[in-house]
Amino acid sequence: MKTGKFVGICILIFIVALLIGIITKFVIKPSWAKKYSVRWSDEIGTLYEDIPYKGGESNKFDLYVPKDSSKKTYGLVVYLHAGGFTSGDKVEDRNLLAWLCSKGYVAAGINYTLRTEDNDKSVYSQSMEIKEAIPKVIEEAEKHGYKIDGITMSGGSAGGALAMLYAYRDAEESPVPVKMMFEMVGPSSYFVEDWEIYGLDQKSEESRKAAAELFSVMGGVEITPEMIKDGSYLNLMKPISAYTYINENSVPSVLLYGTHDKVQPYKGVRHLKNALKDNGVDYKLFVAEHSGHGVQNDNKVMKEYMETVEEYLDKYMPVEK
Amino acid sequence: MTVKRWIILGLVALLGITLGRLAVRAFLNLLLGGTLFGGNFL
Repeated sequence: MKTGKFVGICILIFIVALLIGIITKFVIKPSWAKKYSVRWSDEIGTLYEDIPYKGGESNKFDLYVPKDSSKKTYGLVVYLHAGGFTSGDKVEDRNLLAWLCSKGYVAAGINYTLRTEDNDKSVYSQSMEIKEAIPKVIEEAEKHGYKIDGITMSGGSAGGALAMLYAYRDAEESPVPVKMMFEMVGPSSYFVEDWEIYGLDQKSEESRKAAAELFSVMGGVEITPEMIKDGSYLNLMKPISAYTYINENSVPSVLLYGTHDKVQPYKGVRHLKNALKDNGVDYKLFVAEHSGHGVQNDNKVMKEYMETVEEYLDKYMPVEK
Repeated sequence: MTVKRWIILGLVALLGITLGRLAVRAFLNLLLGGTLFGGNFL
């Protein structure tokens, strides 16, 4: 074969191999992950979709109830979707919720009104919507014959933040006991010195203005650069700072964060960890040392996190035999 | 084709797959944060 033709074949092989490499990165998942992603079917149970819990277009939840309806009581696992508080939908977590239902739990995905340019929704208003939704979810489950005796809150990213707010801030008002919480990469604190990923730690007028704008939107409150400077903004951010509500009665928690997170600051996790530790809460914090917001480079850590979630569910909200 | 050329083709394929996977990792790291090496193999 002539050299020129061979070089041409090499180039072609390289391009095909490059494409294979790219495709396999998206398509091939670790074998253990399949366990936690179950395709929904009538064999698992019944799915009730888009049940309203209040008047807004987004105020709907999906309820997954297991096929076996003979038990006296059931644990409810709520999983709240990700999306930066501005996007996302409960259907994105269908496979995870299906897995939870297949274990024998009643499971629910709850939508909340997303922040857009045309509304003034905030993390605070979204957390209040979730708080309003929970009693309706329980009521709907009981209407179908599934008595709920405990609840596990969970979520990812924005959903993780909202899950923590319900579990730590609102648990005392929950109609049924909150048994545990699991979440990944959700923000729980808003110290500007931690939010360097957005340049909010710079101690400049520009940085304080940016922090005031971002935190005003997130908190649903009016924060000024002066408040950022004198630290008084922290009081106004308390209603959405989940870590501030942790006390000795807070629920067992399983958490996962990536140290290179570009979306929500890993630096802030220390407040959460310290609060859990100082209050003697049973918690496990998994740290993905090579990953960012998607925990995308640490499959081993993700596996350990999910196995611990299962372990904690079995311990704190076991399925009735 | 000679054995030597088959080996070269094999190495080119391996390089292509490696770079393809690394490119995706680099892209996701750009969006989400993360390291190019360590943790998952490629």
